[in-house]
Amino acid sequence: MKKLVMITSVVLTLTLVAGCTNKSAVRYGDANAVETTDISFGSTDLQKVAGEMTDSLLLSPVVGTLTANTRPIMFVESIKNKTSEHIDTESITDSISTKLLRSGKFRFVDMGRVEAARKQLDFQQNSGMVDQNKAMQFGKQVGAQYMLYGNLASIVKTNQDQSDVYYKFTLRLMDLESGLVEWADETEIRKTKGKEFVSW
Amino acid sequence: MNTTISKRSFLLIAALSTTLFISACKNVPPVTSGTGTDQIAPGQKFSKHLQVHNPELATKLHISDIRSRTNNDLLEVNLSLTSTYKKTLKLQYQFTWFDKDGFVLEAGKSPWQPLSLHGMQTATVPGLAPTNQVASFSLYVREVPEEFFKF
Repeated sequence: MKKLVMITSVVLTLTLVAGCTNKSAVRYGDANAVETTDISFGSTDLQKVAGEMTDSLLLSPVVGTLTANTRPIMFVESIKNKTSEHIDTESITDSISTKLLRSGKFRFVDMGRVEAARKQLDFQQNSGMVDQNKAMQFGKQVGAQYMLYGNLASIVKTNQDQSDVYYKFTLRLMDLESGLVEWADETEIRKTKGKEFVSW
Repeated sequence: MNTTISKRSFLLIAALSTTLFISACKNVPPVTSGTGTDQIAPGQKFSKHLQVHNPELATKLHISDIRSRTNNDLLEVNLSLTSTYKKTLKLQYQFTWFDKDGFVLEAGKSPWQPLSLHGMQTATVPGLAPTNQVASFSLYVREVPEEFFKF
């Protein structure tokens, strides 16, 4: 009988342990959920940075004056990545410019598509395939009045027990004619990864 | 006597192990309910719009104030959260924006924002309407959902 008890216990314990194996599963997640997979720059950081910067710009009294009777034209210069990570900073500027455009306060010129626009105008003007009365003309584009640019920097500290990363994102708005910086703001993010005690 | 004990312990071990096996390493869906409001238009009293979906969280956290104003043509909201809990609360909050007909604007584009609220702290967090068509808003606060492994 003792043997039976022993065998049953061993078998059940083995089954229990085997029951804990990882099974991979695919599911759709919430794109807006807070993501904490690891300590590096993630989707929540991007959303936070883009959201806070846009809100700050739209609420600033200077921008209130600039946009009172007109929709100023902006262009986004790149965000310099001064961190030690590979971060797609264009994704941050895309989010910021989309939010600003959708707010109805600003208009944008896209410097990243100048070559494509030139090709299309060239086709319309010189291919002989487009009715010249309906073709778009060269030299009619509108120049940007303001430039949006910034930096993303980080400080990383690690010891045996925990890692700490601090991001600082700075954004500035420059009047291209006068060279004056009309608005600037910065936002910070701190993320820590450490050991957590498991309790029952 | 010995046989009775052995039989009893055998049954006990079997029952215990089966229970453990059934519940072993089961992913328990995290609690994602919290405290929020239904649609509030500027000037309305927020206390009439509060909705508590998670009574456990409500004992530790309450919405102490909601203010709104129009700034640069955009609806600006300030949400004050007060902790009545001695430890740090890891929270997330989200705003939803509606037009004058009560239709949701920018659906699915409002991210959950993380917020650490220290013990007994009151924090005010801002929200800004994405467009000037926003006429009302709602908000929701929840604790950070964590996945627990049940043994």
